[in-house]
Amino acid sequence: MNAAHEAHITDNDLSAHLDAELDAAAQRRVEGHLAACPRCAARLADFAALSADFDRLPQESFGCDLAGVIAGRLAAVAPPRPRIPAPGWRGLLPLGLGAAASVALGIAMGAALLGGGAALPRMTAMSVFDPIPPGGLCLDACYARGADKTGAFIK
Amino acid sequence: MDDADEELAARAQTGDRQAFALLVRRHQERVFRFVLRMLGSRDEAMDLTQDTFLKAWNALPAWQPEARFATWLFQIARNATLDLLRRRQLVEFVPLDADTPGEAACEPRDGAPLPEERLADRQRIGLLERALAALPAEQREILLLRELEDMSYAEIAATLGIHEGTVKSRLARARAAALAHYRHHAGESPDERRA
Ligand SMILES: [Zn+2]
Repeated sequence: MNAAHEAHITDNDLSAHLDAELDAAAQRRVEGHLAACPRCAARLADFAALSADFDRLPQESFGCDLAGVIAGRLAAVAPPRPRIPAPGWRGLLPLGLGAAASVALGIAMGAALLGGGAALPRMTAMSVFDPIPPGGLCLDACYARGADKTGAFIK
Repeated sequence: MDDADEELAARAQTGDRQAFALLVRRHQERVFRFVLRMLGSRDEAMDLTQDTFLKAWNALPAWQPEARFATWLFQIARNATLDLLRRRQLVEFVPLDADTPGEAACEPRDGAPLPEERLADRQRIGLLERALAALPAEQREILLLRELEDMSYAEIAATLGIHEGTVKSRLARARAAALAHYRHHAGESPDERRA
């Protein structure tokens, strides 16, 4: 007759109910059961409280304009289908260095796409760019600061 | 806002860097937040966020206009994150350490003394962070996509490449596991405090 005689609502359905992802029929069934079953209602409240806790997590921010940081490196990587030949940042570098940087980055990005072993060439490319960072202010403020404490989190 | 994502991505596909810059500005915080919570390390998360957008730029020719750009971007971020976790064999998640020096610049300022309620919140945040840390990456990521990114089951399914039915069951398992962690560490469940 009452809820106690029915099967309890599964975690799957309670969780989907919380997310409003059940179809109408299932929704009605769950709501009917919840109204009469403190045990399932408590479980749902647990899920809801957990969900609410995520809203309390500190709002972490990247902290600077990433578009500015990577702008120079987008130019270094061959764009997908370039229509306009861009002079870009290469004009800022001595000719040989610019070419070397392009090659190094090309290799690095190739390796990254192939997966695995990308870390080393990427760092090599980075070191080429360090003297003249595109979007330098942001790099100084955020990136370099981060580099200072690389590994600080790893115990 | 999301409608224009695909327009911008189409322009970026032709080599339009300004369009891509707009996409970066629009999505950098979401990607960063997700990656940070997956990895637990701010430095790694900053690197990986940059890598994600560089990879996206490079892979743009392969992007299909039918796919939502945000979903595609999260796929890239997520794959890079899992790669890193595997590569470094970072078996243990490193919880965010609020006391780490040098972080203050990017954190919300917080000078005032904490009212009691805030302290309780802090404890609960700590519980959640520890619970997240203890979960397998598979459960952590699905919780983050749902709870932080507010993705629908369909969006999560597309991002993770799984069926919606799997989203439903995996999410429920992840929630149950997180709650079990709360109980284990605090001897209480979230609703008990509210009752
Ligand atoms: Zn019940």
